[in-house]
Amino acid sequence: MKRKLGALEKVDADLPNLQHKLKIDPRSYEQDFVNQYNQYRSLKELFLQSPTTTDDSGIVRLRDLVDFVSHTADCYPKLTTAFASDLVELLDLHHATLDSELRDKLVGALVLLRRKETIDSVQLLDTLWPLLLKTPSKNLRALLFQKILSDLRTANQKATNHKLNRHIQSKCFELIVSDPTSAKGLWAVKLTRELWKRQIWSDAKAVSVMKEAALSQDAKVVTGGVRFFLGGDQEREEAAAEEDTDDEGNIDMGKLRHQAGINKKTGKRANELRTAAAKVKRKEKKKNSPHQLNFSALHLLHDPQGFAEELFQRHLQPAQPKVRLVLEQKLLVLQLVSRLVGLHKLTLEPLYSYFIKFLTPKQPSVTSFLASLAQSAHSLVPPDILEPLVVKIANEFVSEASAGEVASAGLNSIREICARQPLAMSDTLLQDLVQYRKSKDKGVQMAARGLLSLYREVGAELLRKRDRGRDAAMGLRIGEKQTARFGEVGTGEIEGLELLEKWKEEQGIDSEADEEAGWNNWDAESDSDDDGEGWINVESDGEEIDISDSEDEREKKAKAAAKSEPTFEAQQSAGNTPAATTPGSSRATASLEPEAALKREESRISRLATTRILTPADLAKLNELRSTAAITAALPATKRRKLLASQAAAAASRHADDPLTAAQISGLSAHSYKATRQEKIAMAKEGSREEGGNDHRSTTARRKEKKESEGKSTSNKEKERKKNFLMTLGKAKRKGKRSLTQERAILKGHVERRKRGGKRGNKGQ
Amino acid sequence: MGSSAKKKREKKSDFKKTKLKVGKARPKNTNATDTSFAAKSIVLKQQSLSESGRDPSTIFNHNLSLLASKADTQRRDALAWLTNAITAMNAAALPQPPSAILLKAQPLILDGTASVRSQLLKLLRILPVDQLGPLDQVLLYTRAGMSHLSTDIKLSSLDILDWLIEAQPESIVSCAGGWVKTLETFETLLSWNGAKGTTGSLTGDGKWSATKPTVSLGSSKLLVHQLNTLTAFLNAGLVRPERDDNLLAIQAAECWPLWHHQAHLMPTKSNPYGYLNLCGKKRDTESDMYEDPEERQEAFITSGMCRAFVQGVTEAKKEGGEVGRAAAGVAKALQLVVDVG
Repeated sequence: MKRKLGALEKVDADLPNLQHKLKIDPRSYEQDFVNQYNQYRSLKELFLQSPTTTDDSGIVRLRDLVDFVSHTADCYPKLTTAFASDLVELLDLHHATLDSELRDKLVGALVLLRRKETIDSVQLLDTLWPLLLKTPSKNLRALLFQKILSDLRTANQKATNHKLNRHIQSKCFELIVSDPTSAKGLWAVKLTRELWKRQIWSDAKAVSVMKEAALSQDAKVVTGGVRFFLGGDQEREEAAAEEDTDDEGNIDMGKLRHQAGINKKTGKRANELRTAAAKVKRKEKKKNSPHQLNFSALHLLHDPQGFAEELFQRHLQPAQPKVRLVLEQKLLVLQLVSRLVGLHKLTLEPLYSYFIKFLTPKQPSVTSFLASLAQSAHSLVPPDILEPLVVKIANEFVSEASAGEVASAGLNSIREICARQPLAMSDTLLQDLVQYRKSKDKGVQMAARGLLSLYREVGAELLRKRDRGRDAAMGLRIGEKQTARFGEVGTGEIEGLELLEKWKEEQGIDSEADEEAGWNNWDAESDSDDDGEGWINVESDGEEIDISDSEDEREKKAKAAAKSEPTFEAQQSAGNTPAATTPGSSRATASLEPEAALKREESRISRLATTRILTPADLAKLNELRSTAAITAALPATKRRKLLASQAAAAASRHADDPLTAAQISGLSAHSYKATRQEKIAMAKEGSREEGGNDHRSTTARRKEKKESEGKSTSNKEKERKKNFLMTLGKAKRKGKRSLTQERAILKGHVERRKRGGKRGNKGQ
Repeated sequence: MGSSAKKKREKKSDFKKTKLKVGKARPKNTNATDTSFAAKSIVLKQQSLSESGRDPSTIFNHNLSLLASKADTQRRDALAWLTNAITAMNAAALPQPPSAILLKAQPLILDGTASVRSQLLKLLRILPVDQLGPLDQVLLYTRAGMSHLSTDIKLSSLDILDWLIEAQPESIVSCAGGWVKTLETFETLLSWNGAKGTTGSLTGDGKWSATKPTVSLGSSKLLVHQLNTLTAFLNAGLVRPERDDNLLAIQAAECWPLWHHQAHLMPTKSNPYGYLNLCGKKRDTESDMYEDPEERQEAFITSGMCRAFVQGVTEAKKEGGEVGRAAAGVAKALQLVVDVG
């Protein structure tokens, strides 16, 4: 006969229930816990006798007990001192042979113990990290990586945990440095990249880990490191932007409040409303708070010259390299080297001769080579190094016999090189190349025109007289337009400052008096709720700085950039339209004595720029003035030229920091041949409706969808129109038979309802 | 006609040169092999189910391996088959030694199905007692079962322990961890460790706490069983083998001129000076081996369990009835220690 179970006995039989009761009243259930803990210990001992057998046989399995104990260990810290170290030992010794479910449970239990602060992060990560490198199981690796990442994120959530970060960073560093030939370094690369993307690690130490990765001797690790430098910052920005827009507009406070007015009032709903309000407020605050300033990895690099040289010598130059890279990987490395050379204006002469053998149209991915070459040119490269390269490109790519796309790629790359180092061009070659603007091929035409307009700006005397154009010819005649000599550096100034000064004079604003006002105004305008400072305090990262010259300088630069964060942007956009403003203003004040003009200019600039600090309000005005000046100064006849010039200037400012891609080199050659049917279809399909692609729908349909997406209902009119005919019938029948009194009452009621705003009134909205 | 034009086109296409685009990667060769496939399933051949024509030892081994099967009916059937087979054969003719059978069968002590456990006990009872090999593993499983969450498993593992005590009393109490650990298990099971000073009194942080009653609300069957087994276990561990005075006299007469010559011979025990622990690690009293009744008694007293047991027994005796009677048995066994100590 079946024995009847007592109620309590039944309940005792499941662990989750016991766990629940334990948490409520740990003291009373201590005995039960001890029983279970002993059970865990004996099962563990059994397990250690034969770790390979699965523990599926009994009702209560070891993993259930591990789960139970890890959940309740914090209630009995004295009894369970050995628990964490037991788990670590189990994982360490038997991770390869453990049943996968039990293994995952052990990892989860350790993380749980960390969350309950039984063990600390360093201890946890010291267990998980070596395991990640050792284990042959793919699943476990994925799990461990995810856990490590999430633990680092939580550890850095409230404030940056410098100690932990430094510990893990040095582990990553050691991993790569200790054995450069192993592929294990990939984990360090992966971790660093992920944390960089999430802006948890954004210091020089993380960059130095990646630097070591790029210099290691395993192809995968090398490409991982190189890819980080080429795309890590972009990825970080994208992630940040995504986070901003992620849950934007999810919460509609008005709607929620309205619903709360209508629905039944419960504690839960009130709580929900409160949390939603708090969330909205938090988001608002976050939006208003100053943007975190981050330096790109390329700028945080210590000793870029050494890095570029080493990269080049290890991976590109030797005939017998330590690591075999395929063409694609070599291109990536080349891209990084050239980017470094261009960005930091490094001197790496063997790089240019390395390019020569790749500059033929038949070379696979030649456009990437061309882009890298252009990228590595800068104003401090001796022209006689670049000249043979330019000549070779011209000979190989640009001829009447070559295909349109080949010629346009060649011309574009020549233009990009010359934009960075105009002295690399000889006049005969230039005049020859400029002739191609008469070509029938659209791409070649545009490329040649680009070259022409570039040289009108930077070296008009190389062009034939009739190709120079009016501006350049006049500039040459007055002598203000001269080709910059090798190594010449222009004096720095703030674009459009004279416009601002003029405006101030016109407005009659006293510079001393309004300075204070400028700050105050700015506060009012930006309605930020923090204190009146426009600056952003950049917290120092707590990392030690070696006192070397370059490092020092970088630090200074960083501080300056941090201080003038709003200024910085303004300057950047200022760089976009130098050509549009300076010639115009200079022409207005044109005098025949250049020296006197120069003096006057100098004094004018010095007055504003040297006597006071520009307030944020000033800068905003400056920006506005500059843009309006650019528009109004343009007469209809010259409009197009101005626009072109500004575009060229934009292109010139782009050279400074952004990478040059192969797509830019191949340029408009896409238009030089007729698109095939497939290409046309692809173009039409490109981008779905939401992304602003082609949308072949009527305006009404689009409006309706918009309204629906906003969560708005139909209008009364529409409801009336859509109402079922049979439902309106009764009223229509009666309508004619109403008495006058009834009619009056109805009309009165209608007016009253209108006043009130509907049947219930517009309360609560 | 149409087909010939088509054929012509096909033939032509063989010699057509593909146009290469500048800056693009070379297109894949036409004869490249696509290796991007994955097998979705692996097909096993039909398993052979016939038992005829195989020799009995193979079938025996097959059934032995079935003890680890996932299905509980299969495990039970395999146990039943083995029981029948062992009773049919004589001990010498078994295809596997009894120790190997025990090794395979012992995980089933923790089995979730009652029928499997009862069948297991039947199997164990017919195994030849003197060829079981080392017993510490079985004891480990038994202890795990005794502290199991499920009452049924607790009961059946007590049965197993009873069998063990009956079969090999000496090796059970003297194997590594067999003495102290088992006693500790009993202590926690009976909740006698509360007797160490905190029962119903103020705890460290000034709050009252009360221990739960040891008796579960259903019946006292488990408790009685536990007490009975404990009695047997204590008796096995503490009772000295009786000295045969006659035999001693004969031995002394045989080597007459020598007196106490054992003290000068090579010791018969392993690690005779182990108790001094001269150059070992810190002693793990729990999992040590205690080979003599004296040693066991010593361990029992020094670990403080003796006091806790005495106190617990006096409490349990007050309950009267079946429990009281069983507790009286334990008290009698404890008397062995108390007399000496």
